[in-house]
Amino acid sequence: MAAVQQTLDAVKALEVDRYVHGFVTDIETEFAAKGLDADTVRFISAKKAEPKWMLDWRLEAFARWQAMEEPNWAKIGYPAIDYQNLYYYAAPKKKVLLDSLDQVDPELLATYAKLGIPLREQETLAGVKTAPRVAVDAVFDSVSVATTFKAELAKAGVLFMPISEALHEHPELVRKYLGSVVPVSDNYFACLNAAVFSDGSFVYIPPGVRCPMELSTYFRINAENTGQFERTLIIADRGSYVSYLEGCTAPMRDENQLHAAVVELVALEDSEIKYSTVQNWYPGDAEGRGGIYNFVTKRADCREARAKVSWTQVETGSAVTWKYPSCILRGDNSSGEFYSIAVTNGRQQADTGTKMIHLGKNTRSRIISKGISAGRSSNTYRGLVSSHRNAKGARNFTQCDSLLIGKECGAHTVPYVEAKNAHSVFEHEATTTRLSDDQLFYCQSRGLSTEESVALLVNGFVRDVLQELPMEFAVEAQKLVAVSLEGSVG
Amino acid sequence: MSAPFRIDLRDVSTFPTRRDEAWRRSDLRRALPNPVEPAPDLARPSEGGPFAAVRAEETTFANGRLPDGGVFARLRLTDAPHRLRFVTSAEQGGWQAGVDVVVPAGVAATLLETYEGQGGYVGSVLLSFSLEAGASLERIVLMDEPSEAVSISASTVALGASARFAQTVVATGARLQRHETHLMHPGEAVTVRMDGLYLLSEARHADLTTVVVHEGGGGTSQVCKGVVTDRARAVFQGQIVVKPGADGTDARMRHDALLLSDTAEVDAKPELEIYADDVSCAHGNTVGALDDEALFYIASRGVPEAQARALLMQGFIGEVAERIAHEGAREVLAAFAAKRLEALT
Repeated sequence: MAAVQQTLDAVKALEVDRYVHGFVTDIETEFAAKGLDADTVRFISAKKAEPKWMLDWRLEAFARWQAMEEPNWAKIGYPAIDYQNLYYYAAPKKKVLLDSLDQVDPELLATYAKLGIPLREQETLAGVKTAPRVAVDAVFDSVSVATTFKAELAKAGVLFMPISEALHEHPELVRKYLGSVVPVSDNYFACLNAAVFSDGSFVYIPPGVRCPMELSTYFRINAENTGQFERTLIIADRGSYVSYLEGCTAPMRDENQLHAAVVELVALEDSEIKYSTVQNWYPGDAEGRGGIYNFVTKRADCREARAKVSWTQVETGSAVTWKYPSCILRGDNSSGEFYSIAVTNGRQQADTGTKMIHLGKNTRSRIISKGISAGRSSNTYRGLVSSHRNAKGARNFTQCDSLLIGKECGAHTVPYVEAKNAHSVFEHEATTTRLSDDQLFYCQSRGLSTEESVALLVNGFVRDVLQELPMEFAVEAQKLVAVSLEGSVG
Repeated sequence: MSAPFRIDLRDVSTFPTRRDEAWRRSDLRRALPNPVEPAPDLARPSEGGPFAAVRAEETTFANGRLPDGGVFARLRLTDAPHRLRFVTSAEQGGWQAGVDVVVPAGVAATLLETYEGQGGYVGSVLLSFSLEAGASLERIVLMDEPSEAVSISASTVALGASARFAQTVVATGARLQRHETHLMHPGEAVTVRMDGLYLLSEARHADLTTVVVHEGGGGTSQVCKGVVTDRARAVFQGQIVVKPGADGTDARMRHDALLLSDTAEVDAKPELEIYADDVSCAHGNTVGALDDEALFYIASRGVPEAQARALLMQGFIGEVAERIAHEGAREVLAAFAAKRLEALT
């Protein structure tokens, strides 16, 4: 018995240590009353002093949402969500001005420190002049509290600000593009988001401008019981380029949290948007309790000729992930890319993939998806590649590889291919295997521990995707993948 | 376990629609908005059919009826080939039939299953196969039906230890034509082949759906090819499920389609659902036109373009017939496919 107890203790200890981002910062938060009705929507809109058209837009979304049903086709299972038992708005009370670091709440800075927000951004926040050039728009519990590098971006003409601010400063842009990629009633969660989204990032790159730095947002769920509804809108005007990084961490807590974000990308003629995500939200304890529900709608519209959008994602967190970053290839010769690493361990469930909708001539897309399941998790790739009658010369290449570690996990591949003209070529390949014993043995015979061997082999497995990430992100992601799989073998 | 829909032609509410994931691309209720009246009786057709060249026993359903008027047949196959024919001639109306096929232990059987007819009929067959230990069955299915018909053939397959099951389905489409197979794979040295070929023109619709559930290890090999032109629509849905504990599974699935017209459509969904780790599963799927470079190469050798196209397409679909073990059946199918292909181009 002693040995059993010892094991139990060891496992418990692991669990506590495992999620290093599990902490709650004590900042006074102003809540909207629990529950959701038209008044909640009005409250959020009023809090943001939004124009009338925006409120109407939200109310319409809310009305539609009430008539919709939660989708159930994904290979995920979770207890029913009580949408009336959530807070829909929480803003830090101490309004922090954007231009002065002295006014940033020290607690907040401490949070960043604990988060291990890559130090260069810490330095940036601390006002170090020589800090590397990465702009951060940190979304701390629904309201962006600090935006850096605004001046330099302004010099280039780049608009990078919270969407609530953009609503006041550039209403014409927001009104023109908001909801133009993901319509209000696109799906259940996107519709909910449209009704109650609190804040998010807004980016506009003017014609011909190459954004002078990588833009970065750290999403952070903080207040207990607050669903986070972010809305991101990125517009790359003709001939522009932008690389956008999104990284996520969240504190440990008892109740499941809902996260239903919407990301809309608009790429005009000759522009390019590179969108990279590292998602490391709390996956729940060993039984899957308390993890984040991540129901995200991400879609890019290559609206004009030769536009290019590239999605790269590293998904290691959340109890449940439901996410399909997609590209609508409307412009002739436009192209879309999707590179994904999804790691599930413990009781995690991920149903993720992409949609490539070929509408324009000579449109190209490329999908590389690497799924790794360990423990008792379930990992599904679900993708759609379709070509319209007019999409002559459409070309797609898809590769989905799954790696299984352990006897109790699942890996699924559900690709949909719909070809509607004789001039498109679609190729799809998928493999599912386990970690090779031979390779493990070889590594171990070279003196590596089991865990190091697994990390090395997995690293090789996901390399194709890692190289698509911006460099500093790639290093983090590599570590994240290894950490996520700790304890899955042996 | 996965199972075919229980369809009752007299009751529209049992017709699956696009809201049912398994029938998403072949909406039966849209094809049949009203209940189907029984088709009139039909005089016994003469023996033979497409596989007349193969010497075999024969069981024939004429407008869904056996010679004794029954609608349910029990077959206990032997080493000799057996023809199972569904012959329909009806401008409207429909029929439903059931067949129970048993392959006794140690028997190596060949079943030549054909769907033939004329008119705008509706046919629905439910087949259940049971292979005893060590039995083997090669099932060749030829669905050559009129363009106005609606035809559904659904089968379930249960396999004993060391059984071998091989299936080749050739479909030419109809207003709506669907062939669906649900197979439980027990592992234990069992091997399964699940091939398909569709050659579609006009506004024909063919749907080849397979579900293979591995409960033990063992191998599954699947090759499906198709050529689609005019306004035809092909649906391929192949699912391989590997249950927990089905270690040692080796499953390969391929689906390749050629689209010859800008108004034709191919919808493919090759699906893997895996719950065991000591497995090797792969699927590949391609949809496209003939390779211009290959065409150019052959043309540069002095072959006229039409012939070059025919040559490439023969090569493209050839693999499916080549995998058939029974020589007589292979020859019949290869000749049928070649003729049909010629009509497509």
